[in-house]
Amino acid sequence: MPSTTPFIRLENLSKSFGKVRAIHHISLDIHRGQILALLGENGAGKSTLMSLLAGQLQPDSGSIFLNGEKVVLNSTEKAIHYGIGMVYQHFKLVENMNVLENIILGQSKNFWLRRSSLEAQVKELARNYGINLDLNAPIRGLSMGEKQQVEILKLLFRKSDLLIFDEPTAVLTPKEADNLFATMREMAAKDKAIVFISHKLEEVLSIADHIAILKQGEIIDRINPDAGLSPAELARRMVGRPVLLQVQRQEVEPRQTVLKVQNLSGNGLEHIELELRQGELLSLVGVAGNGQKALVETICGLQPPKEGSVRILGQDWHDFFADKQSESSLSYIPEDRQGLATCSGLDLLDNFLLTTRHGFTQGPWLHKQVAGEKLEKLLHDFDIRPPDAALRAWQLSGGNLQKLVLAREFYRKPRLIVAEQPTQGLDIAAAEEVWRLLLKAREQAGIILVTGDLAEALALSDRIGVMFRGHLVATMSRHDQASIDRIPQMMAGLNEEEHKQTQYEEVNP
Amino acid sequence: MAFFELRLAKRQEPSPLWRSALVFTGAVIVALGLSMLLLTVRDIAPLHGLQVLIMGAFGSGWALQDCLLKAIPLFLCSLGVAIAFRLRIWNIGAEGQFSLGAIGATWMALSFGGAPKLLLLPLMIVAACVSGGLWAMIPALFRQWLGANEIIVTLMLNYIGILLLDFLVYGVWRDSSGFPMTAAFSDNAIIGPIGTSSVHWGITHCLVLGLACWIFFRSTRLGYEIKACGDNVQTARYAGMPYSFLVVLVMVLSGTLAGWAGFLEVSATVHRLQPSIMVGYGFTAIVVAWLARLNPAGIALTSFLLAGLRAGVENLQLDLQIPAAFGSIMEGLILMTVLAGGFFLSYRIVLKRRA
Repeated sequence: MPSTTPFIRLENLSKSFGKVRAIHHISLDIHRGQILALLGENGAGKSTLMSLLAGQLQPDSGSIFLNGEKVVLNSTEKAIHYGIGMVYQHFKLVENMNVLENIILGQSKNFWLRRSSLEAQVKELARNYGINLDLNAPIRGLSMGEKQQVEILKLLFRKSDLLIFDEPTAVLTPKEADNLFATMREMAAKDKAIVFISHKLEEVLSIADHIAILKQGEIIDRINPDAGLSPAELARRMVGRPVLLQVQRQEVEPRQTVLKVQNLSGNGLEHIELELRQGELLSLVGVAGNGQKALVETICGLQPPKEGSVRILGQDWHDFFADKQSESSLSYIPEDRQGLATCSGLDLLDNFLLTTRHGFTQGPWLHKQVAGEKLEKLLHDFDIRPPDAALRAWQLSGGNLQKLVLAREFYRKPRLIVAEQPTQGLDIAAAEEVWRLLLKAREQAGIILVTGDLAEALALSDRIGVMFRGHLVATMSRHDQASIDRIPQMMAGLNEEEHKQTQYEEVNP
Repeated sequence: MAFFELRLAKRQEPSPLWRSALVFTGAVIVALGLSMLLLTVRDIAPLHGLQVLIMGAFGSGWALQDCLLKAIPLFLCSLGVAIAFRLRIWNIGAEGQFSLGAIGATWMALSFGGAPKLLLLPLMIVAACVSGGLWAMIPALFRQWLGANEIIVTLMLNYIGILLLDFLVYGVWRDSSGFPMTAAFSDNAIIGPIGTSSVHWGITHCLVLGLACWIFFRSTRLGYEIKACGDNVQTARYAGMPYSFLVVLVMVLSGTLAGWAGFLEVSATVHRLQPSIMVGYGFTAIVVAWLARLNPAGIALTSFLLAGLRAGVENLQLDLQIPAAFGSIMEGLILMTVLAGGFFLSYRIVLKRRA
């Protein structure tokens, strides 16, 4: 049962960005010992709310109470001082330092670091919460799940009483996600307060003690997960209309080969063999950092193949990327929406033109007016909010920015699409929309989908490939249930020995 | 006791034009105030100093004409560096490119002095633009091929350019009078004044080139690509933009405009090549470009104002025996206050009553 005074009480918080109302009169109690899940579509105000708590933003009106006393959180330092800590989606760790150094960084007021005693403290802390980490391992070599554990330990070491997780499972394997949930339960049991933001409804239902649903900056529903709600019902309440949690998928007859990768090595890749036809969707699954990035960048022309060959639409890699005309038939939807797919300081029209500019060029002239009309229509068709072409990209929420990128990339009617984590950070309604669009695009194009979400891969793919340490460990048809069942092991590298053997046999039958 | 607390809040929207104008004006006033306070060190009443400064700059028809005359090279050089700045290529070599432009134009004027005006002037323009453009291309190539920092290379090339000019006028091009200057140009190599004023027809070149620049960034693909690359190089590479080519292009355009300014200076103002044409327009152009936030219309206005500052300081020198360096001090103060004022464009200050 919740104690009478909540650890944190938000009262009537409002925050607007110019004319855009991010959150509006939100009141919310956060109790020690409980896990509160925040659900909501993109742009519903979840991130704004968390930034207010973490001291990064200040509310326009309303107050925050800590143990019943009013506090002003006008800096991140202050929030940390009051015991509020946040685990960001993009970890904030020093890659070149080891685990212990990252945890104690900036925490000792003394001139001399008493390393051994600090190490003992951290060790004790890790043991208490069931976290198993080598404190002397450099961050560089850790998996995403381990890095997240370092972030958690960092907050616990700072004696944080409220831990906020922003989509913590987006970068984790299923096993790592289970570990995280165990840690979260452990922390709740030790009287910490947990707030966690997620788009995955099943995990929310299984772990949260309370669920609050945000829509357009307001809390529209508060749900007790014990009430026996189904994920579909939860989705309906969140989106406001029934949501199918799967997509209608029609078989498409594969046609000509659009991509052929032969014996590609270098940049961390090892002998990749890959073929993709028009009308086919191939998912590459695997834990982030197992060569997906290098493979994608090679296929998309950002780095040349070191060894082996890559042929796109029948052309050699170098010929393909030397020709501006052919290049427009390839679409790359990168994971990094802010840093790579868009220019944050430019307006939406200029961002739309980034990869479509050749289509609006006549001689030296760029017909921005024509492009603007096309964009107006796309903003409407893809339901990008707010639909104002004069806004700067940084003013858009992550989900809306992703929709803009997709609208732009599909507009070119590409024949080869490489989509990297296209639904990461998107709410289910938006993700469903992206899936539908990808499947539709598949009728005209071959698609490579790089994803960490196995469910997504299974829902969409014709074939699934598993990557581990630069190898494409196996590719299998969606109908090959026996192999699909082994994917989690393959992602963890447990299949590698066997794979080497089969490969050996293939070469020397 | 009531407690108030000052807090900073980041603005969530780009600032509107009126706010930029307000902040700019405020900053200039602060800078003028500070400069005039400096005059008290020499026992000059600040308001009197200000009056002499403003009269010298804008106080008479003659002063205004002098301002326009000084604004012309400033405008072209600044337009040039602004193109490079858009791509975040820091061309601070306009001074040297200006010098090379003057040399190129002079070469044609001395070699083909007898050619008809309609042939000779275009020839001089082409020569000035090619020399200025190629001079600016050197640091661009060094940057893309060898990874040399363009700030250092453009800066050093300034001194080489200026010394090359000296070398020529003290050497092969020295006039028979013996002074370090070339012979006066023939009439065909001279752009004349407008009517009876001292302002020359070169000002129409500024209008055309300024307009061309504006159209280039507004309506051409290359202009767009420069803008996109300037915002985020990673994204530009992702979108398949030819970054290296653009770097060379902006530097060449930059040098071309500075070279054109050099041509106008010898052909329309001095009518010969002499070391005294190098008065630092190329350096002031950097200040102008930043003050105007790289906007062509803003550059026109700011060039005029800073030209006025130069004219006004000359008046201070004559009337009140203030050293010439005072002009540079004022230029620097204005730049610093305006840049510092930029803070108010991205942040606002909130006054809150303490709880």
